Amino acid sequence: MRPFFECREISKTFGGIEALTHVDLKVEPNTITGVIGPNGAGKTTLFNIISGALLPTAGEVIFKGKKISGMGPARVCRLGIARTYQLVRPFNSLSAIENVLIGLGFGRARPMAKRDRLAEALRILRMVGLENKMNHVAEGLTLVEKKHLEIARALATAPELLLLDEVVSGLNPTEVTRIIETIQQIRKSGITIIMIEHILKVVMALCERVVVLNYGVQIAAGTPEEVVRNEAVIEAYIGRFEDTEERPDA
Amino acid sequence: MSADFIQLLVGGILLGGIYGLAAFGLSITFGVLNILNLAHGEFLMLGSLLSYGIFVGLGINPFIAAILVMPVFMLLGLGFYLLLLKPIMDKPPHQLLVASILVTLGASLFIEDVTAFFWERPVTGISYSLPPMELAGVVISSTRLLILFFIFALACGMQLYLKKTYVGKSIRAIVQGREGAKVVGIPISRVSALAFSIGMALAASAGAFYVTLFTVTPVMGIPLTIKYLCVVVLGGLGSIVGSVFGGLILGVAETLTAYYCGAEWSPTIAFILLILILIIKPEGLFGAKK
Amino acid sequence: MNRRRKKLFLLVVLLLCAILAALPWLGFSYGVVWIFLLAVYFTLALSYDIVGGYMGYMNLGHSTFFGLGAYTTAILLNQGFNLFAALFAALLLAAVFAAVVSYPLFRLRGAYFALATFGLISLIEVLTVNLRDLTGGSGGISTPPGNHMVPSYYLVLAVAGGTMVLSHFVARSKFGLALFSIREDEEVAKAFGVPTTLYKGLALVISSAPASLVGGIYVWNMTYISPNSVFGLEIALSPIIMAMLGGTGIMIGPLVGAVFITLVQEFLWTKVPYFHLAMYGTVLVLIGLFMPGGIVRTRWVKPVVQWLGLGEAVDYFKNGDVERIP
Repeated sequence: MRPFFECREISKTFGGIEALTHVDLKVEPNTITGVIGPNGAGKTTLFNIISGALLPTAGEVIFKGKKISGMGPARVCRLGIARTYQLVRPFNSLSAIENVLIGLGFGRARPMAKRDRLAEALRILRMVGLENKMNHVAEGLTLVEKKHLEIARALATAPELLLLDEVVSGLNPTEVTRIIETIQQIRKSGITIIMIEHILKVVMALCERVVVLNYGVQIAAGTPEEVVRNEAVIEAYIGRFEDTEERPDA
Repeated sequence: MSADFIQLLVGGILLGGIYGLAAFGLSITFGVLNILNLAHGEFLMLGSLLSYGIFVGLGINPFIAAILVMPVFMLLGLGFYLLLLKPIMDKPPHQLLVASILVTLGASLFIEDVTAFFWERPVTGISYSLPPMELAGVVISSTRLLILFFIFALACGMQLYLKKTYVGKSIRAIVQGREGAKVVGIPISRVSALAFSIGMALAASAGAFYVTLFTVTPVMGIPLTIKYLCVVVLGGLGSIVGSVFGGLILGVAETLTAYYCGAEWSPTIAFILLILILIIKPEGLFGAKK
Repeated sequence: MNRRRKKLFLLVVLLLCAILAALPWLGFSYGVVWIFLLAVYFTLALSYDIVGGYMGYMNLGHSTFFGLGAYTTAILLNQGFNLFAALFAALLLAAVFAAVVSYPLFRLRGAYFALATFGLISLIEVLTVNLRDLTGGSGGISTPPGNHMVPSYYLVLAVAGGTMVLSHFVARSKFGLALFSIREDEEVAKAFGVPTTLYKGLALVISSAPASLVGGIYVWNMTYISPNSVFGLEIALSPIIMAMLGGTGIMIGPLVGAVFITLVQEFLWTKVPYFHLAMYGTVLVLIGLFMPGGIVRTRWVKPVVQWLGLGEAVDYFKNGDVERIP
């Protein structure tokens, strides 16, 4: 049975620094997997490797039975993996709908008449609640809207696997709830999600499985409840809970 | 190896050293400010003119002149920075690019045109020479050797400065990561101003050496900046040491081309080298592949 | 209100076109020359902006296409080819050249790209001067004499109009959207499947077409060009200054800039024979410092542009949430 998505022994060195060491990750289809860990643990590096932006120093990324590590980001996107960015990177002076149109037109483009493409883009914007801002320039949107726009743009590429990089950071409790709902909707539509997250509450609420990284090494994996009780995890986080990351319930 | 060839080589290395010195300054500026200063060549030209003026007016030898112009141009560089660059530093990346090209290109044209108006005739090399030396049966101009030594000392001095002093380390920190440097409390604006001024000063002192060997014209600024570009790309974007080596390669290549193919082809060799390195190894000789 | 506005606008445009068409018969021979040059510069500015403004890569060497077009046409005219064959060859040559140089040059970004393309001009100029037998060297090249002012006037207006159509359709197309995305964030564009390398080369080739055509028309009309006249700083920088002054990245920008600059040149150049470059330089600095978005994006002009329904293309020097007119 070939795995849907797997990282085998991923290692990445930058100069003298080992950002990732022998990281394994197995993801089942139609699940939400969380990747957590303190700052600098290597989570975004892992995403960069998965999405094809970086080459791993060692190890492989397998998606639907195919080795994708080594393919560029465009090919990875065409194979069905899309991502958002930790520091939002929408196409700033393009409007919301144009941002989505890029994803639609180039990601896994199916030939479509312009009118149909516009309708489809609008549908996607509606899914994330941005249909009223369709002609607004991306730069002028609020942070939570920009994050939703990034999600919409990623969804436009009809991905099977969606990588969400700290979508919740910087949002207030109401916005957090809103984005959690969006993510749950996405999962309902059959898309598999891997999400990097800091905020344990969100991870507990959404993820079926959690992987914990610390200094580039995987120190725990399992259900959220298991992981939270894991001693190594608690030790890694001691002293880091001081940050405002631990938010009260909404 | 014929004596002629060695002379050519020495000449080429010398020219290369001058290029490298100026490109060194350009690299620092680009690393710290993220702005490519299209007016960089103008400062070499102005440095040459000032040097020449000092030599003719005060009779000071070019080596001292090279040192004297540095503080003058540090001040000029500071003024340039405050007037033209600081106002645009905080723009988002694409706007910064457009604005910086406009501003520095505009400044180039302005400097060139005004200088050409006041200084019409090309300035020929300063005739200053020491008795030539003989090394292994080959006659080498000791002036040239001395200049080479000076440039080398200056470059080493700069490297030491960057490595050892607090300011130097701040500069390197910003080059490596602007956000990180901010977090650590480095005053970006002030260090940027300083880095820019140093870059200008280096360009100007390179000019002082340049005018002892070659002719200086007011319109050489832009072609020179293009040559620096080639040097920086050759050496590798982001590698300061690389630009010195790039300079050496260009200097030698240019001198040899001028001799064997004719002087009118030597401006093109820089560009040909640029195209070649872009095709063969785009990240440059010392650059890091992504 | 909207429809009436558009009808009024269309009427004005038609009137202008009628005047332009009739100009040679109205006895304003100086005006014809003036508009001819304006159209040449405008076409250069607009075609530059496809790569410089839409895609965000400032190709300071855009005039290389102009010069190549001019020289190719001149050489072929001298060999006895008719104008259209010569223009076609010029178009082809410039397109191939664009395709070839795009391969190494687009490995550079930002200011490095700008500077390198600028250097391209001098490379081609040196080659032109040195290939004396082909091009006549630094003395320039003459083409068969004749008064072609009127036909070349119409020709160049046709090319200018065609370039406006081209620019308009590129901006509205999927290809144009991709160019914008490359400008905004090339890495992300690539990650979302935009074929950046291909599109960058394609954009450059497309931009070379109008430039080489007007180069050919120019030499046919002038019957003489020299390396300096087609590769010099003036022809290299004027179109770019026009595009940037008027407003880069938006179709109406280069038009505004071209008209503005030619008018200013008209009055200033004859009164002050020196410091032309210095004045250009000052304008560049001022634009860079105070209005990098150009005239059409300033507080006073922008509402007019949007009122006219021309607020299309990119609004990218604004800040704040503006509702973008699709």
